[in-house]
Amino acid sequence: MPIKTLKDALSFRDLPVWERIGFILFIIFCLIFPWITKGGFAQAVMIQFLIFCLYGLGWNLIGGYGGQVALGQAKNVGMSAYTVALLMVRWDIPFWVSTPMGVIVATVESFILGSFLFRLRGHYFAIATIAVSLVWQQLFINWNFVGGARGIELPLKETPNFLYMQFSSPIYYHYFAFLLVMGAIFYMNWFRKSKLGYQLRAITSSEDVSESLGINAHWVKVKAYCITGVFAGMGGAFYTVYYNYIDPFSVMHLELSIMIALMTMIGGAGSMWGPIIGAMILIPLDRYLGAWLGGRGIIGVDFMIYAVMVMVISAYEPRGIWGIIEKAQRKR
Amino acid sequence: MALLEVIDLTKDFGGVAANNRISLEIEKGEIIGLIGPNGAGKTTLFNCIVGYHKPDKGEILFKDKNITGLKPFQTNREGIGRTFQIMSISGDLTLLENVMIGSFCKTSDRRVARQEAAEILNLLELQEVSEAYMNELPVATQKRVGLAMALATKPELLMLDEVASGLNPKETEEIVALLQKIYGMKGLTLFLTEHVMEVVMPISQRIVVLDGGQKIAEGIPQDIANNERVIKAYLGDKYVKGRKN
Repeated sequence: MPIKTLKDALSFRDLPVWERIGFILFIIFCLIFPWITKGGFAQAVMIQFLIFCLYGLGWNLIGGYGGQVALGQAKNVGMSAYTVALLMVRWDIPFWVSTPMGVIVATVESFILGSFLFRLRGHYFAIATIAVSLVWQQLFINWNFVGGARGIELPLKETPNFLYMQFSSPIYYHYFAFLLVMGAIFYMNWFRKSKLGYQLRAITSSEDVSESLGINAHWVKVKAYCITGVFAGMGGAFYTVYYNYIDPFSVMHLELSIMIALMTMIGGAGSMWGPIIGAMILIPLDRYLGAWLGGRGIIGVDFMIYAVMVMVISAYEPRGIWGIIEKAQRKR
Repeated sequence: MALLEVIDLTKDFGGVAANNRISLEIEKGEIIGLIGPNGAGKTTLFNCIVGYHKPDKGEILFKDKNITGLKPFQTNREGIGRTFQIMSISGDLTLLENVMIGSFCKTSDRRVARQEAAEILNLLELQEVSEAYMNELPVATQKRVGLAMALATKPELLMLDEVASGLNPKETEEIVALLQKIYGMKGLTLFLTEHVMEVVMPISQRIVVLDGGQKIAEGIPQDIANNERVIKAYLGDKYVKGRKN
């Protein structure tokens, strides 16, 4: 069974050739990127892109394949980020030990919340996830033990330290984030062919029909939500050591949750590459345009462009950019 | 031992008794038809057995086990399969993949599920469209896919909800032949609710008639066709009086 699972994860044979070529180009691009760019800003944007790929790939599970409008990915990111930061700052526990703990906290939180929240459906579920996110954020803003609104700063080590993930060059962070994203892609490649993947897609089209086929819809959704938590947890842990600083506004903010969901929807929710395409377009757009316009004193225009883009794409093709690409391919 | 036993089942919806003290038994290997005019309570009875509704009173026993109040996925795992009038399934998946969802009920191995799904598609003569998408197919084929999905969960009792609704006479004939073929090959027990008499009469070994939430008759098809209460329920008092004159 494990060998079959591994084979399913690593095999992309069922995909069309052009998709496989695109994937290889993506890998090559990520591998050579640090060597072809010189600016620190470009590399920082690239790492942010990779972090968002991870968030998006995770959200795609419950939001895309599962069709649930869960707007609380930021709290999973935050749970893990805070666990890692606290363990590292207060007890000096290395990254490699604190990260699994962070991921476990995010997953357990997802499990407990999911068990309750999935009793709700549709809009009610979406609203409940927003409400829970806001409550968590307020708690963290007012909780002194975790630094309150000031957040937590990780002390810098004197020399680069692998145990604490402190490096002298962003290249190391780039490759580590790239490895995480690759892991996530292989997982998703297995997932889309797995029992859970099929069951989740069945639930999206009709819960009643899928229950009549022996699927425990509630439990399947909770499982998917937990896996989403794992992805967010990994992202949150990496975020903490990359920026060396977290606060409730950077890792617990509703805006982050919405950004992750929108990005995936624009790229193509419920498709393998959708989250990556979404992040590829929106992250550079957001950062470059934001910096460029902000430098000229025009604040907020980037958000307007962003919003118009979301509207135009979703009006034209609800399945996002990936939907447009697929349509074009089928016409050929 | 009866395969399915419904004892005094009652279900109210806001004061309307959709099912009122209904009792029936289904033996293993039987084909039972459930008929009745619109609003007779057929679908409610189906939904109570499968678990979409919780009965207010009464018991449902399947293989002597009390399954009253179990959820649909639990009754499915016990061995009850069910089709819907409109089986809305995933448009993003091919037929084969949709049927695989049913197969995954009993296995976690994708290859096994694929193999079983392909076999069922062959059985239902759908192999040629196995890579097609649901929204590309005519209603008659969609109905057969619904049947294939339910069969993939390997039920002992298959409950068919209006399997011929929306089909033309030729398609109806085909689906009846298909049901007989499946019945013969799989040794299933079939329980079907239907409006179309051309489906129920030739295929059923026994028929249960509901009207106004109550069971008004039960018997072999010939007797049911001549039963006064049944004729009255379907065609009204006037027709019965006219027949007597």
